[in-house]
Amino acid sequence: MLHRRVLQFLIIYTLGLTLLLVVKYLLNLSDYVIPSPESLINTSQQVFSRYFGDVMDTLLVAIIGQVVSICLAVLVGVLGRQTTWFGSFIKVAAYNVQAYPIVAIAPIIFILLGDGFMSRLLIAAMICYFPLLLSILGIMSEPVVDVEHFYRITGRIRWQLEIKIRAFENIHKLTTVVSGSATLAMAGTIVAEFMAANAGIGYSIRIALYQSDLSRIIVALFLIGISLSVYQGLLEFSGSWVKKTWASA
Amino acid sequence: MNRRRLNPFLFIIVLMFILQFLSPPLTSAAEKLNYRLKWLFNASVVGDIWATDQGLFSEAGLDVLVKEGGPERDAIKELELGQAQFGVASADQVIRALSKGSPVVVVAQLFQINPLHWIYRSDNMKIDRLDDFKGKIIGITYGGNDETIMRTLLAKSNITESDVKLFSVRYDFTPFFTKKVDIWPCYINSQGPILKQKLADAGEGVAFFNPSDFGVKFVANSVVTSRKMLENNPDTVKKFTTALLSGWRISLDPANRDIVLETLKKYDKNTPPDILALQLDLTRDLIKPDAAVEIGYIDVDAWKQTEEVMIVQKVISSPVSVEKALQPQF
Repeated sequence: MLHRRVLQFLIIYTLGLTLLLVVKYLLNLSDYVIPSPESLINTSQQVFSRYFGDVMDTLLVAIIGQVVSICLAVLVGVLGRQTTWFGSFIKVAAYNVQAYPIVAIAPIIFILLGDGFMSRLLIAAMICYFPLLLSILGIMSEPVVDVEHFYRITGRIRWQLEIKIRAFENIHKLTTVVSGSATLAMAGTIVAEFMAANAGIGYSIRIALYQSDLSRIIVALFLIGISLSVYQGLLEFSGSWVKKTWASA
Repeated sequence: MNRRRLNPFLFIIVLMFILQFLSPPLTSAAEKLNYRLKWLFNASVVGDIWATDQGLFSEAGLDVLVKEGGPERDAIKELELGQAQFGVASADQVIRALSKGSPVVVVAQLFQINPLHWIYRSDNMKIDRLDDFKGKIIGITYGGNDETIMRTLLAKSNITESDVKLFSVRYDFTPFFTKKVDIWPCYINSQGPILKQKLADAGEGVAFFNPSDFGVKFVANSVVTSRKMLENNPDTVKKFTTALLSGWRISLDPANRDIVLETLKKYDKNTPPDILALQLDLTRDLIKPDAAVEIGYIDVDAWKQTEEVMIVQKVISSPVSVEKALQPQF
């Protein structure tokens, strides 16, 4: 699972890089537009360890942001699963808030929280929270009629049991959503760093863009991609472990 | 039989991609040209606006599309990719591009004084000497040319990083407004009047620090084209530059101030007219600071100094002989 993720990323990255180099040599472009392989190697030697640290910093914020989002989405998803006025209100609010672009909300966050860790965390959580919430709301508000019916007519249904049944029946969907939201959390953190932070790979990409240094960006993309692939692979592995454990319990 | 059909959307995207790169990079017989600015339409590009609005390019037999720039736009890259034939780039962009083998040439220098200044509250501080920086919190954009300029100024006066506190600047001026930062980088002709008025409304006076007053001449925006364009179409380059600089001359003539402001308002609808007028006057001082200086004049010494600064600050690793890329066409 893990090696497959990494391999898939390496294939995509290599294809993308090859396409860039083909365009470079086909159109005879200078290293300023598309860096040569030599320039890429030199740049990676210069910045690899620093960028690796930056990516780890970003990934850490993304993971914390994702965990916060999952907890919040599960809480709100559980509350909003009922067909009550409150449940419907939560759903509508989630849809509406998701419609606001984060770049419009971000300046307010930076003014209130400054450009440190909390702003990055909040934006990461915001970007991955809403898709998570919508998926969890969808799963939690969909009754598993066959199973729930039995408990309902025997009078043994309780809200905890209802949630357990729905989570168990949709465990595959839940693990896919959680794994997918890792990408959103990482993207959210990078966006936040790009806009205002003083640390992380998003901040380094911003500096590289100021300097029109595509080779640094390509190195950064490699490190982001590989780290995210490993993290997603680990999440998928954990998901399948949870499924197996739960099924055998 | 299960036949696989080609996805029409994918086909269109691939076709567009191929056409994009196979389209001829240089001018066609109709002389259609793209001119990529460095920033959005505002008073800083008044000459470019005037030249297109008043049909100066058309009079020269050129069909020029003036395109707004932005942080994600890079005119030099567009020149190489054939997406533009002329553009505006800052000196640091040109020197960086040259250091990576880009065949870019400078045909005219627009700003004789770099509009990049630092703003500070004049009520509680004064910067008459570089030593006055000591103990101050100074805003810089890491990776930006203001970082290079400020580090040069600090090095010039033997001020170390422990003597000052450098603060990472973003688009948001809140840290300066809330006095978290003492000195903040800004473009004096575009942002300057807005900031000045905002602080005046709050009862605060401001002053601007100009690095060139302290011997650091770092060239700003210039008109660029590709070496291929200059060699293959010298007449077009000459016609373009002449029409463009004529636009700058007319638009900056104080006698035309009112009509130019009316034209500017059409392109920059978000800036109040009184601010626009201030921006125009400040831009005039930066483009033509002296009656003896011709608009478009390329200050070779300033370019050489910019290159030296970039080498000392390790922005580029080796000299690029920037003077070879300076090819005035007027």
